[in-house]
Amino acid sequence: MTANFLTTRRAALAGLSATALTAGRVHAQVPKKGGTLTFLQNAEPTSLVSLTTVGTPSLTNSAKTTEGLLEYDYDIKPKPALATEWKISPDGLRYEFKLRPNVKFHDGKPFTSADVAYSIQLLRTVHPRGRNTFANVAEVQTPDPLTAVIVLSKPAPYLIKALTAAESPIVPKHIYEGTDPLTNQNGNAPIGTGPYLFKEWVRGSHAIFERNPNYWDPDLPRIDRMVCKFVRDAGARSVAFENGSGDIGYRTPVALADLDRLKKLPHLVFETEGTSYSYNVQTIQFNLDSQYFRHLKVRQAVAHAIDRSALLKAVAYGYGTVSHVPIAPGLKEFHSPELSPYGYDLKKAEALLDEAGFKRGPDKIRFRVPMDFNPIGDESRKVCEFTRAVLNRIGIAVEIRAQDLSAFAKRVYTDREFDFTYNGHSNLFDPTVGVQRIYWSKNFKRGVPFSNGSNYNNPKVDALLEGAAVENDPVKRRQMFLDFQKIYLEEVPDISLYSPLYLTIKNKRVHEDSPTADGVESNMSRVWLDA
Amino acid sequence: MRMGRRIARTLRRTAIHAVPTMLGIVVLDFLFLQLMPGDAADVIATEAGSATAETMALMRERFGLDQPVLTQLASFLGHLARFDLGYSPRFNASVVDIIMERLPNTVLLMVTALGFALLVGIVVGSVMAAWAGRWPDRILSVVVLLLYSMPGFWVGLMAVVLFSVKLGWLPNDSNMTIGSSFTGWALIADRAAHLVLPALALASFFVAVYARLVRASMLEVQRQDFMRTAHAKGLHPFLIQLRHALRNALIPVTTVAGMHLGNLLGGAVVVETLFGWPGMGRLALEAVLGRDFSVLLGVLLLSSFLVILANVAIDLLHAWLDPRIGEA
Amino acid sequence: MTVGAERTDLGSRPVGRKGRRLRAFLRNPTFIAGLAILAVLVLIALFAGLISPGDPQDMVAQPLLWPGDDVQYPLGTDSLGRDVLAQLVYGTRASLLVGVAAAAIGLAIGMVVGALAGFFGGWVDTLLMRLVELFQTTPTFLLVIVILVIVEPTLPTIAVAIGLASWPTVARLVRAQFRSLRESDFVMAARSLGYSRLRIIVQEILPSALPPVIVAASVMIANAILTEAGLSFLNMRDPNVISWGGMIGDGRDQLRNAWFLTALPGAAIALAVLSLNLVGDGLNEILNPRSDQ
Repeated sequence: MTANFLTTRRAALAGLSATALTAGRVHAQVPKKGGTLTFLQNAEPTSLVSLTTVGTPSLTNSAKTTEGLLEYDYDIKPKPALATEWKISPDGLRYEFKLRPNVKFHDGKPFTSADVAYSIQLLRTVHPRGRNTFANVAEVQTPDPLTAVIVLSKPAPYLIKALTAAESPIVPKHIYEGTDPLTNQNGNAPIGTGPYLFKEWVRGSHAIFERNPNYWDPDLPRIDRMVCKFVRDAGARSVAFENGSGDIGYRTPVALADLDRLKKLPHLVFETEGTSYSYNVQTIQFNLDSQYFRHLKVRQAVAHAIDRSALLKAVAYGYGTVSHVPIAPGLKEFHSPELSPYGYDLKKAEALLDEAGFKRGPDKIRFRVPMDFNPIGDESRKVCEFTRAVLNRIGIAVEIRAQDLSAFAKRVYTDREFDFTYNGHSNLFDPTVGVQRIYWSKNFKRGVPFSNGSNYNNPKVDALLEGAAVENDPVKRRQMFLDFQKIYLEEVPDISLYSPLYLTIKNKRVHEDSPTADGVESNMSRVWLDA
Repeated sequence: MRMGRRIARTLRRTAIHAVPTMLGIVVLDFLFLQLMPGDAADVIATEAGSATAETMALMRERFGLDQPVLTQLASFLGHLARFDLGYSPRFNASVVDIIMERLPNTVLLMVTALGFALLVGIVVGSVMAAWAGRWPDRILSVVVLLLYSMPGFWVGLMAVVLFSVKLGWLPNDSNMTIGSSFTGWALIADRAAHLVLPALALASFFVAVYARLVRASMLEVQRQDFMRTAHAKGLHPFLIQLRHALRNALIPVTTVAGMHLGNLLGGAVVVETLFGWPGMGRLALEAVLGRDFSVLLGVLLLSSFLVILANVAIDLLHAWLDPRIGEA
Repeated sequence: MTVGAERTDLGSRPVGRKGRRLRAFLRNPTFIAGLAILAVLVLIALFAGLISPGDPQDMVAQPLLWPGDDVQYPLGTDSLGRDVLAQLVYGTRASLLVGVAAAAIGLAIGMVVGALAGFFGGWVDTLLMRLVELFQTTPTFLLVIVILVIVEPTLPTIAVAIGLASWPTVARLVRAQFRSLRESDFVMAARSLGYSRLRIIVQEILPSALPPVIVAASVMIANAILTEAGLSFLNMRDPNVISWGGMIGDGRDQLRNAWFLTALPGAAIALAVLSLNLVGDGLNEILNPRSDQ
């Protein structure tokens, strides 16, 4: 019944594919002004500006005060924000941005191209992803205060998609210049160009933003205040949605088991828009140096034993899309529709294990192996329990190993003392940024989380990924990614399972909260509330 | 002994004793914490879902995480000597600020819970002692024993189901209605409403402890000589209970309560997590998981300081309650 | 015969009261009640396989069935479709094992430290008491959590962690006993007879020091079970083993519609702890006859 709910909803929305951002969804209603929006967030941010950190809680809050050059519609097509026009040279090496005039920072100082140049250089140095995203930036020219030109040494076809407020924040040069960005207090009390002013941040509790009366769009923002509450407990968030003390939350902010019950409540709305900027794909990741999983046959056997649909149903109540490949189904341009050649077939699995030399012992067990899991996400343990149950049937005895996040990162990425683990990666806005890092042999970097943890090394794959990273022709680029996924499916360096469905839950009085690809991670300048 | 001189002696003794103890605690804890795998940079990178070797190196270098252990320890002690608890890489703020944000919340919660537990515990224990062996005692004994046996957080969960979910009378998260601007009585009422369930969850266990203790002590005291003298003097039995038995029973009770107060910081971890109470317990847990040693050591230091303080307070309280207690 | 005579001559030691003791045990209703419940729990733990055959971790049915919905699953199922009754039954093992092991470790360390401190006094005492202080000023729960971060949580490591955090109370208790007993007549007599110190500690003083320790033991097991429950709730538990605390943690998400998932394991914990407290109270009444009804 929940599946039906989603398909009919999706069908209804497909008919209104969002090309016009400002129209929001089905309203001819006139936006009302005023009110306070209560935004429930799942965890505490470590900084209110996503400059040195890209943790989701920081991303959620950063864009409210600090904006980006562009915005994107649901298909990740760019729209104006701080930049009003842009031109990319045919060779893909010059990006010229015309900047919006008469924009002021919250402290009254003007926004100019100098801030853009400074921010991009800063992102290159301290931003966890910016280093790679802007790696090819040779310089940022500022011929006049309202023009910024990014000059690249090599093409970067993903760059134009990287310019949302949360991903590439444009920060005030006059506040960061000459200071240490890691400890600059702007991260605790941000000044930016955004529609909301920072009011207060009580750690462990909440952050409050207020309407910026001098915002560059005189009609925006529409609400008076945004209160961001950090509520770590999913049950508490459920209660808050129910009794109306919480207006909006995203990334499925309640326990999946609660969704059915909440969907029956008339005052709640569930939407899937605004989640296309960072699809996640959950995988079972192998350590290709493990004594067991270095053997292709063993990996194939495990692949034969996992029924993705059953797993999705068991651990996520079906809230997600099965994916055989690491590029999420949501990234339609690059996702390969090919299925894994290793379908659910326990007999084949057993045969392969026998062939690999791991026969069943007198106790019916072929070998014992520990399984780790990324502790973020309530479903992690369940996936391991599911895996343990199914692998038990083919004679592999799995022992689940628990540890906290830091110990997990150290074990998998630094010490590499693992055999296989349940993990998840965000595709981010482009496979070069989100997917290459996992399968590119040159990104095998011990000590760096979410790098090539498996130690996968295939020169053909390397060539494809490196080619796609600088390929300007979208058709050629797409083919490179498809070819990569074909090899991936055969070699099974890890097993992609599913892409979680991230729902935004909101009170029906909230409108136009997610007109862009990044949904509520945007500056939410257009959101308005019923009286 | 005169009270004033007594206080001075106790304080002096404590100070001489306390400083090396706290120092020892800090050093040992620091070394012990190094055994935890991973560091703050690992956590921040993993939480974020992305990292590069360079940004992690930058962070480590900035916060001295790549230094050898003894260098870090020396640096920490150096800061401590200047009454500076250091800087948190995770929260990007000074440790003192972070702790001060949360400390009042924990103090409020614990003092409320303990105060409530003491009050109820003493009353219940007195009633049990007064009617010892008869049915009020027996019934209350069962109730008290149940309270003693139920996990506090479970009591909290059941209370949430009843008062928050089913009845909707009380909130189940945080310590106030965020974003509201109450003043005066409305403010107090809002804070109080949020305080009820967490304090109840914490207090349930303590009520049982104090009740049992008061009962046992009062029964013990009743059989002593001076009580028989008081009886012989013809004093009203209830007055006897109140003035003499209770006063003497308060000694072990306050000792235990003092110990509990001293354990203020770690004791509330589970309840604070359950109710999203922004207190020190949750802060400590977050610091452990986030490998934020600066904050964690700050919390541990504060905790040991509080224990020592609590011990001093108990000593002085005892001297007042029973002047016969001489030098320990 | 000579040794026996010597023994009885060594002052007021409670030797000939063994028979009376035993009868006192059996007549105390609190003790008997607690023991009975505990015995039932131990039996459930031992015969878990017979009571609930099959793997309790197996996903056997539709998730979130309420107790009574399906006769096959009298206590319902959890969010993964596992039988709650089977989980409760198997959970007995984890809780009791951790409880007893943790208490045993705490007792062992505490008794050694306390005996040494109380008997020798002087600098040994000061040193050991400083150690006790060190442990006691650190919030216990945090200490356990830190230990479990250093070594991953499994049943053995959890037991060791809890034991390591709980020995100071025992040490204090034993030390107090030893301090008062070391000056008593029978000890002086033993010394004058040239008994070695080790013999005096173990054979002379320890038996008399035991009664409060035995009472404390039952409380320690109870506290260990409660601590393990709290840790499981915070997800610091052995993922390969079912525990009551873990069940509460798992069931927390379903607090609104399937609150029996948290209520039932919590009640089980309360029952186990209750039985241990009854046993402890009973023991206290029997072994310390001063505190009477």
